[in-house]
Amino acid sequence: MGFKKYLKANLKHQKQCAMTKQKPLKIAVYSGEVPSTTFIERLIDGLAEAGHTIYLFGARTGRLGYRNGVKNFSYKQNRLYKLLYLAHYTILLWMFRPKDKLQLDALLKTRSKTLLYEKVKCYPVLWHRPDIFHIQWAKGLSDWMWVRDFGIKIVVSFLGTHINYSPITIPEIGLMYKKHFPNVDGFHAVSKAIALKGTLYGADRNKIKVVYSGMDLDTLDLHQETPKNEIFKMISVGRAHWVKGYTYAIDACKILKNSNFLFEYTIVGGLGDLELEHQIHDLGLANEVKLMGRLPFENIKHYINRADVLLLPSVEEGIANVVLEAMALKTIVLSTDCGGMNEVIENGKNGFLIPVRDPEAMAEAIFHLKTIPTEVKQDIVNRAKKTVDRQHSERQMAEGIIELYERTMQT
Amino acid sequence: MAHTNQSIALVLSQAPGYSETFFKNKIYGLESNGFEVILFLDYIGPTEFSCKIVQTTSFNGNLFNDTIYSVKSLFNCLFVYPKQSLKHYRLDRKSGFSFFASLRRLVLNQRFFAYRVDWLHFGFGMLAVGRENIAETIGAKMAVSFRGFDHYLSPIKHPGCYDLLFKKHLKYHVLSNSMKQDLEDRGIMPNSIMVITPAIDTDFFSLHVRDKPTSVLQLVTLARLHWIKGLDYTLRALAILNSLNVPFHYTIIGDGDQKERLLFTAHQLGIFDRVSFVGKLPQEEVKSYLEQSDIYIQYSIQEGFCNAVLEAQAMGCLCVVSDAEGLSENVLDGVTGWVVPKREPKALAKKILEVSQLSDSKKQQIREVAIDRIKREFSVEQQIGHFIDFYKNF
Repeated sequence: MGFKKYLKANLKHQKQCAMTKQKPLKIAVYSGEVPSTTFIERLIDGLAEAGHTIYLFGARTGRLGYRNGVKNFSYKQNRLYKLLYLAHYTILLWMFRPKDKLQLDALLKTRSKTLLYEKVKCYPVLWHRPDIFHIQWAKGLSDWMWVRDFGIKIVVSFLGTHINYSPITIPEIGLMYKKHFPNVDGFHAVSKAIALKGTLYGADRNKIKVVYSGMDLDTLDLHQETPKNEIFKMISVGRAHWVKGYTYAIDACKILKNSNFLFEYTIVGGLGDLELEHQIHDLGLANEVKLMGRLPFENIKHYINRADVLLLPSVEEGIANVVLEAMALKTIVLSTDCGGMNEVIENGKNGFLIPVRDPEAMAEAIFHLKTIPTEVKQDIVNRAKKTVDRQHSERQMAEGIIELYERTMQT
Repeated sequence: MAHTNQSIALVLSQAPGYSETFFKNKIYGLESNGFEVILFLDYIGPTEFSCKIVQTTSFNGNLFNDTIYSVKSLFNCLFVYPKQSLKHYRLDRKSGFSFFASLRRLVLNQRFFAYRVDWLHFGFGMLAVGRENIAETIGAKMAVSFRGFDHYLSPIKHPGCYDLLFKKHLKYHVLSNSMKQDLEDRGIMPNSIMVITPAIDTDFFSLHVRDKPTSVLQLVTLARLHWIKGLDYTLRALAILNSLNVPFHYTIIGDGDQKERLLFTAHQLGIFDRVSFVGKLPQEEVKSYLEQSDIYIQYSIQEGFCNAVLEAQAMGCLCVVSDAEGLSENVLDGVTGWVVPKREPKALAKKILEVSQLSDSKKQQIREVAIDRIKREFSVEQQIGHFIDFYKNF
């Protein structure tokens, strides 16, 4: 069943629910900015198509184009707009819900931040009162715990850095999580690994639902032959941030070069990073390792398709989207065993895993990859494709998140 | 001392602070040897210098201010320094700059035209970029100091940034023989390059009593939390020691934008409790940390010379450093400390273990040789002498 068909079925289901008095939910998907990241926009789209009403709050930072069912209450980033926006909600609340307004005002006053800005952020949420307020970036949680006082349920996503290392490197964030997580109504985790990390800060295991990210798999159907490159082509895709571990991959390249292994390594998104540029220069890898700027996914797709291996040298991840994309494109993946990567990749079956921060192991794995016969490679990429089809469809994501919301509403 | 009557315009980005004692010492020393020093600074902040201080431009990003200043500068060029301006403009045009680029450079550089000095000395390489023709315009000799980052990394960040500079007639000051060699490889004549190593305050950094060694090996590094300092590799080496059950504690003195990365690295490697990030500290506290440490580590990826390693040797720490550029001249391998190839955490771990297991007498011997060498070769007085030679013989 394709995604569209599924949605139709789901829509029918929603209508049935409505008839049996199970109302569609009003859900605020909150990331602070409208529009948000690709991943979050995909989620919004999926939820709206399934018949729920999506409320968007926050600052407007770009062009909008939402389907029916998505209600946009974001504010433009200029003073006059914000002033009128605030006046609008102040009057509505003052006229129709004065008690609630007083209660919220008292609460906001206790915060040290600028009161007017807080009101711009919070009044619309109080006025529209969604059933569920779903926070994408956990670091912002303490600003929104108040919604529970007005009968709104709070759901928090565990997406990546906010759970993986922020609470370790910034102890105050860890303390804030420990204070608020026990009162949160539901959690969405992008992997089992990150769910486990969330429990370290007091998230109730029973309130966490692991929902894997959904990919638009139809656009990832290139059906190309396994590349037959004389020079072994490796590629990584992602911004030049330390968490991506590119320095380890470049150190591994040095080992490859010392063994006279012919290869080419491209880091899409690494251009302009002085640490990487210096390392390439320092290790004499200018002919083998190339840094490229950011590219639209259409182009990246072709790069991945032509590569012998997609390398994910990260030290930490939720589940890296680029790995899922490579698997869907039938390119072999060599990934570090970080975060939830081992929930997608089974070493030797549908891809390869190596320990984090270990250039020697990475080089070894690359030597090994080169020796694998084509038929075996074919089996591996076929299994990889099956894994993402089964585990990372948009359908299972929308279904999973809706299930989480319904469960949350029942508590 | 003989009175030389030479004047030097020294160009810096900002008034040298605590970490740039190198420059501070130099200025005091030059003045007491009869040199007149004028300091040109891009940013003027609180400063302790007695010498004349000039701000290179008054641009500050405010549109109103910058417009007024541009007009004023053009007026100065046309009516106050017409001769110099014409010369600078012609030199720039000859160097291949367009009319507008030359005009822009003129506005940015006109403050220098009012001064008659014997030397125009740029404190580090990038400060001379855009100012290549000033010295010739005002009839001064040009000198440039290369210190490390400007020498090894700026050309990667800004390809070709020194192309024009290297065509000019000037004198180069570098911190190490390896930097000198590198300049020669880039086509600079050896006789125009002088190596003058940094100096430290050998009176302040002198050892009175070393604490008795504890059962836990005390390791220390003094470094900005920047990737060039190789702290990621250092932590990986320490994780190896940890897996061998070597009891140690590692203290990193310094701050920087890589703190999050390093904290997480320590956490992921399972040595979070054995590493302290104590931030940037005043010299007295640095000294006390050095007194209490057994081994000083400087496993940098790139390093001009590194004053901190000189200070650590003076304080009797056993120094284990990488072979990044100037470091292998700073520490003499097997004589005043140990040099390990960079980017090889296993080799570093092995060396630290080896050093910690040396006999007390061997350790003492290395310490004494190191302390003696620092006192003899890296004092401020000795450095000032070299700089006087630098300016006298061209």
